[in-house]
Amino acid sequence: MITIQNLTHIYPGARKLPPRTAIADLSLDVKDGEFTILSGPNGSGKSTLFRILCGLALPSAGTVTVAGFDLFAQPAKVREVMGVVFQSPAVDKHLSVGENLKIHADLYGLKGADFVRRRDGALSWTDLDGRLDHKVDTLSGGLARQVELAKVLMTDPKVLLLDEPTTGLDPMSRRNFLAALHKLQKERGMTVLMTSHVFSEADDVDRVAIMREGRLLAHDTPAALKAMIGTEMVVIQSKDTEGLAARLRTEMGLAVRCLGDEVRLEETENGDSLPLLERILERYRPDILSISIKQPGLDDVFIHVTSKAVPDHALALDLKRTGT
Amino acid sequence: MTGLVPVAASLAKREFTRFIRQPQRVVGTVAQPLLFWLFLGAGFGGSFRPAGMENVTYLEYFYPGVMLMMMLFASIFSSITIIEDRDAGFLQGVLVAPVSRLAIVLGKVLGATSIAMVQTLIFTIASPFLGLHLGAGSLVLLLLGFVLTGIGFSALGFLLAWGMKSTSAFHAVMMVFLMPLWMLSGALFPLGNVPQAMKLVMLANPVSHALIIIRAPFYYGPSVLLGDIHYLTSLSVTIAWALLCLGLSMARVNKREKGIATA
Repeated sequence: MITIQNLTHIYPGARKLPPRTAIADLSLDVKDGEFTILSGPNGSGKSTLFRILCGLALPSAGTVTVAGFDLFAQPAKVREVMGVVFQSPAVDKHLSVGENLKIHADLYGLKGADFVRRRDGALSWTDLDGRLDHKVDTLSGGLARQVELAKVLMTDPKVLLLDEPTTGLDPMSRRNFLAALHKLQKERGMTVLMTSHVFSEADDVDRVAIMREGRLLAHDTPAALKAMIGTEMVVIQSKDTEGLAARLRTEMGLAVRCLGDEVRLEETENGDSLPLLERILERYRPDILSISIKQPGLDDVFIHVTSKAVPDHALALDLKRTGT
Repeated sequence: MTGLVPVAASLAKREFTRFIRQPQRVVGTVAQPLLFWLFLGAGFGGSFRPAGMENVTYLEYFYPGVMLMMMLFASIFSSITIIEDRDAGFLQGVLVAPVSRLAIVLGKVLGATSIAMVQTLIFTIASPFLGLHLGAGSLVLLLLGFVLTGIGFSALGFLLAWGMKSTSAFHAVMMVFLMPLWMLSGALFPLGNVPQAMKLVMLANPVSHALIIIRAPFYYGPSVLLGDIHYLTSLSVTIAWALLCLGLSMARVNKREKGIATA
């Protein structure tokens, strides 16, 4: 549904600054009806990619097709099948919920009874009942987000792009928003691409793509990504993280990594972790504040993939491993 | 792609709704030129004796000039709300919609023009008190003058505001750019006794031509004006100016920020 090929975007350098490459030769294929989360550390090029995908910027090189249309040659065609939810809400706060929905309907040519039916349909899953006449700036952040999503879903897009839509929502609102989004995506078979930092959001999606420095580091199902760093890992907290890590490497021959105040032993097979934990504890007990066995989550995958100082050839290796 | 007219109408309606929900904005934009007119009119009234206009009071002379000022400033300052729309996020939602880029420009421009029209029409109520009587034909020409001026200059405002980050920068530009154009248009003083060089500037100034098509209907009916070469010239210049600014605005909206070429 969305095919990105060899996309490169270089920002011109402003005032004596050299040009900056935001996206470097990125290729990504999002299949029909898939829910994909796009993630990456700050400055990884996510936002630039998002701006290009919603047709607000043109890249330096590369092609993007959405629903079979060339995004750069036929932007008007793509706009008809695409819905976009921006990080900063694209609603007019001074107008009421109903007025905002009406303007959006006008932009997409929805009229009369069809508009009323689709509007009521789009509002049915929200908590906006009886609030059509309320001004958007009197609503809570969560409700304002719902207006945004209702507005976009009203036009029944084939492809939905969302840019960190849950920013600023409390955990309950976030959960409701995502539940509604997942349900609608399944019902309508929409293709969804959503940028997010929050990995608790990623567990029940179809695929996760991780970017860093404008490159795609991984793109696979959550399960396959978790399998990448072993089935279990041992996490140790110590007063002297670096010192302990060095001793584990030299004295026990373990491939450990330091992350913040943790020493991590990734890629341990099931069942190996407990004996290993016992051996480490026996030897280094005075140095250890806490030690545990952890099932890797997607945030661990994220840290694993994005924290390494990997040269280019290793990136290729990583991609091969994740089967992209 | 959704039709041009319904989209532009919907966006223009939004501008208008926002405007009337801010009573301070309504009062401020009507009261300011009104005070300007009354104070300057009263102050200069005694010393205003241009050749050939002995029976015209300054209050009367300045009246169409104030109308022009209202049209100019109200339409330009309404179209700069595009900066707010961008900051608040509303604009991005419009840009990704399947609508013609001209509809986006027209929505803003027609909204701004209608806002300016309402203010200026309120001010038109004063004309009988000055002894100026508008026939039906003249009123139509006057309204045409308002509409064309509003479209041309709100499109100019749109064009200038599109790339700007803040409204304060826009105010600064307008003060050094638009105010002189208005002053050199003949709105404040007649163009008769100025140096030749300044006269050329006045003729090249689109605001001068807008003033002519707003002032003339107060004194002549359509039968005279539509046969008058000066009036028709100014009318054509104002129409051309409006089309030019609309075209440039549309091109500006159409242009997407582009990454630089790969080496």
